Amino acid sequence: MDFATLASQFFIGLSRGMIFFIVSAGLTLIFGVLRITNFAHGALYMLGAFIAYSVSTLVGQGPYGFWLALLVAPVTVMLVSLVIERGLLRFIYNRDHLIQMLLTYSLVLIAGDLVKILWGTEFKSMDIPAVLRGSFNLWGASLPWYNAFLLIVGPVVALGLWLFLSKTHLGKICRATATDREMVDVLGINSTRVFAMVFALGGWLAGLGGALIAPTTSISMGMDASIVIYAFLIVVIGGLGNVWGALISSIIMGVGEALGILFIPGIAIIIPYIIAGVLLIVRPTGLLKSAW
Amino acid sequence: MVSMVGKKKSHTLTRLGSMLLITALMASGCGSSPVAKTEQKPIKVGIVDTYTGGAAVYAKDSLDGFKLAVKEIEAKGGPKIEFVTRDDEFKPDKSTSWAKELVMREKVDFLAGTTNSAGSLAVSQYAKESKVPFIVWGGMSDRITGEAGHRYVFSTLPNTAIIGKAGAVQLSKTSYQKVWIAGSDYEYGHSLINNLWSNLTTLKPDVKKMGESWWRVGETDFTPYINAIRSAKPDVLVVGTGGADMVAFMKAVKATGLTQEIPVWAHTSYDPATLRPLGDQAPEGVMGTNPYLFNYPDTAENKAFVEAFKKEYNREPAAFALYGYMGGKFLGEAITKAGSTDKEKIIDAMEGLTIDTPVGKATLRKEDHQVAIPMSYGVVAKVNGVFTGKDLHTLNSDEIMPSVDQILKSRSK
Repeated sequence: MDFATLASQFFIGLSRGMIFFIVSAGLTLIFGVLRITNFAHGALYMLGAFIAYSVSTLVGQGPYGFWLALLVAPVTVMLVSLVIERGLLRFIYNRDHLIQMLLTYSLVLIAGDLVKILWGTEFKSMDIPAVLRGSFNLWGASLPWYNAFLLIVGPVVALGLWLFLSKTHLGKICRATATDREMVDVLGINSTRVFAMVFALGGWLAGLGGALIAPTTSISMGMDASIVIYAFLIVVIGGLGNVWGALISSIIMGVGEALGILFIPGIAIIIPYIIAGVLLIVRPTGLLKSAW
Repeated sequence: MVSMVGKKKSHTLTRLGSMLLITALMASGCGSSPVAKTEQKPIKVGIVDTYTGGAAVYAKDSLDGFKLAVKEIEAKGGPKIEFVTRDDEFKPDKSTSWAKELVMREKVDFLAGTTNSAGSLAVSQYAKESKVPFIVWGGMSDRITGEAGHRYVFSTLPNTAIIGKAGAVQLSKTSYQKVWIAGSDYEYGHSLINNLWSNLTTLKPDVKKMGESWWRVGETDFTPYINAIRSAKPDVLVVGTGGADMVAFMKAVKATGLTQEIPVWAHTSYDPATLRPLGDQAPEGVMGTNPYLFNYPDTAENKAFVEAFKKEYNREPAAFALYGYMGGKFLGEAITKAGSTDKEKIIDAMEGLTIDTPVGKATLRKEDHQVAIPMSYGVVAKVNGVFTGKDLHTLNSDEIMPSVDQILKSRSK
């Protein structure tokens, strides 16, 4: 095992972690502020991928298709999320967790059928933009350009979230709601508007994750189920509702899985669960402080 | 106890399935179509297959192939074949519950389909119990007509034993010695790779297994797997993966430039179903085997089939279209040969039946009910600006079929 392989595998894992972070940051934000277990988060991610495919196909899979898709898909998913929040979720904030789970789970089924109706049952494929094709030499090993691109997008999103949460008024309310909801209510802040915005932001992040993964894989029904398992594991490990916890555990999960694939390929498939199990034994309440 | 619980569960599923079906029928407002009164009652085929999700592309092809066969048989004044379809969503438990529903409620004479191998095995078990013959044109597990084979199951597609042997023959003609094996962690992946490996070690005793990697079905990012395999520097990477995963894997091979360092073998690498979604991002040089291409074999029979299929569906037939087509043709000819719609007589007629197909003569082997057709091997290449298979050679069916002794031995275990 040479250094170059280890380094490239580390960066590949890190780029995998960036996708995990973008998706799970949305989930954990919704967890923390709305106190809702949003099973439909994976469905929003899938929707993002399918919309990205449609957008890039509409402009002929040309050089600008992907970039346009990267803009349009997350925003469309954000609007869908807004409709879901205003139309459905806001009526159940004070209800049982079970009702909330049932509702978001029903959204998973609806999204599945919606994809079937709109895009058909066959899997789709979209092109990696020309400038990000192929790979470059990294100390003798190779790293695909697209993974390097994800390594830039991830930190940009994290930085944006940090600026939003710590520098803006709305972000501060979000944090306050996650920490002590009653106090925020007592202070007379209109929390339902905050809820709508946070849910929309979460949806935007899910859509962005879907749009980012779309060119590297085949876009198919069922891709929601596989990501949502990772996202929930990451959110629980990181500490429910804690965005930075999600960042740390996404990186651990992505890099851990990549290194697992390198060193113990025979059992690569169960590595995420081993990581989750070990971390939860060591820190049952999550890596960082939970919002709950 | 265990079997009791299982039975109870599947019973509930059947009921649930039928309830859903009734709702669906009521919603769509279609009752069963009136049956035309002819001197011979039509044979009704119940097709259980995966019409949604990553594997749906195969089921669509095989269904269209089957429909074409049914139409051609009728046009020639042959027996009338009716059919109904059910979507198992790639879930074996649903395959069985739909199969039961089709037999009990729809009173089908034959069952067919199931792209999911585990689903094929489950439906096959039910076919054995209920004595309703089952034509497999989707599931590729070698166990279907191998160790789990019986009188009531037929396969009209090359299974993983045949594909594995064909891949082994192809690889035995190369100088590669250090092999890394990888694939999707489910029946198809393991079965294909196991067969390939056991045949390769027989044909070429100096090969050495360097390591293996298995990924989950629906993996979205293959780069960490490919990077890890590249660092081990094997002579060749042998991959068993299918459907949407195959396309995602090929994308990652291209993005990482793997083929420039390590040759890759994967079944169906140059199949249009794999190459079309890849657009201009197909990795050149990936070796593979393929039972059927619309432009290979270059014979009049194949051209006629492609022409007819294109006229009907406005696209070229893929391998699974041929499997569904052969399923329909074997059934039609067997009914004619039997001169009866009695299921047992049709089975007798099907055993050892040889018919003309787009790929030449095909036989449903008497001993194991497995179809024997030739297979091509070659590499992915850009020819006249289009990605396709190049350096194609044909392996005769007797070169790649597992021996009857081997099958009977595995069944007696």
